[in-house]
Amino acid sequence: MSTSALSKKYSFNFLSALIVLLSVMLMSFDVSAAEDKFTFDSDTQRASFLRLTAELRCPMCQNQNIADSDAMIAHDMRRKVYSLLKQGKSEQEVIDYMKARYGDFVHYQPPVTAATFWLWAGPVLFIFIALLFVIRKRSVSPPEDMAAKLAKADAMLEQEKE
Amino acid sequence: MKKAPLVAIPLVLFLLLVVFLFKGLFSDPRELDSQVKDKTLPPFSLPDLMEPNTTYTPEDLKGQVTILNVWGVWCVTCAVEMPYLTQLRNEQDVHIVGLYFDQDLDPDFGTKTLSRVQQEVTNMLSRYGNPYAYNIFDVYRDTSLDLGVTGAPEHFVIDARGIIRMHHIGDINERVWRNKVGPLYRKLVAESRNDVSESLPEVANE
Repeated sequence: MSTSALSKKYSFNFLSALIVLLSVMLMSFDVSAAEDKFTFDSDTQRASFLRLTAELRCPMCQNQNIADSDAMIAHDMRRKVYSLLKQGKSEQEVIDYMKARYGDFVHYQPPVTAATFWLWAGPVLFIFIALLFVIRKRSVSPPEDMAAKLAKADAMLEQEKE
Repeated sequence: MKKAPLVAIPLVLFLLLVVFLFKGLFSDPRELDSQVKDKTLPPFSLPDLMEPNTTYTPEDLKGQVTILNVWGVWCVTCAVEMPYLTQLRNEQDVHIVGLYFDQDLDPDFGTKTLSRVQQEVTNMLSRYGNPYAYNIFDVYRDTSLDLGVTGAPEHFVIDARGIIRMHHIGDINERVWRNKVGPLYRKLVAESRNDVSESLPEVANE
């Protein structure tokens, strides 16, 4: 009895230690990712760098941001983002710089244009039309149906009573 | 009778979906709109790969229709297209200039020497043929970035006034040359000849 309780206690400790260890490892990875090569003037600059590399898309790889990608172009773009930030450029200026070279494709947030407008309008329009459809259908059919059903139910109840 | 249009709705939606997906079969996700088309070359001042004392600027690419070929020895497709490009140079007198960039040369932590790069290039050109009038060495890969290059090989067709008229991603083979790059190149060469012949009488009058 006591040994099993003991082993239970140990296994619990082992598990929690494992969880702590894993989370520590993950945390340290997250921190070192941006620091292996680049040194920043301030924490805000570092945050900008992390945000930008996550938001800019690698033009060569399929659907990867430049922080994730190991392609040479992604290396070069990270280096460029870094040097532009060091020059004191704002985040928007860096994005514009990349867009001027690689097009809207390079930014994960597409601009609203005549062609992309439907990405936002489409779902809203769909919900709106579906809602109209449902409301119209509801308001037309139920009353008489309901009345008939109630009458039927009443009749059945009456029958049961007898 | 009244229900017929309602039944048709899913069918129409399905057909639209089929058309959309069918078109998707032939779309190339790697194809990007080039931002440099119809613009002049971005400013640069870069050394010759073989003779580092010679520097090139966009001015050097004016006066003649040029195909600027972005390449490197590490690029397999470049090696594949090289014999054909050499053939184009020899048989049709196509003016091809290389924009060379090295993959292993990390600008910040580079340990590879220039002579090593030159040796690799010489080896490769002697094996597959040399299509280049000369090679511009994009040391820091900045010019490639300015041109919106995503990898190699890529080609820029530049007219005699130094304006980029086409950005072709991928290799140039017989099919691409016949259908896409060749016609434009010949048209631009003809244009530049016309420009020259138009300006000649003026010179004669003076």
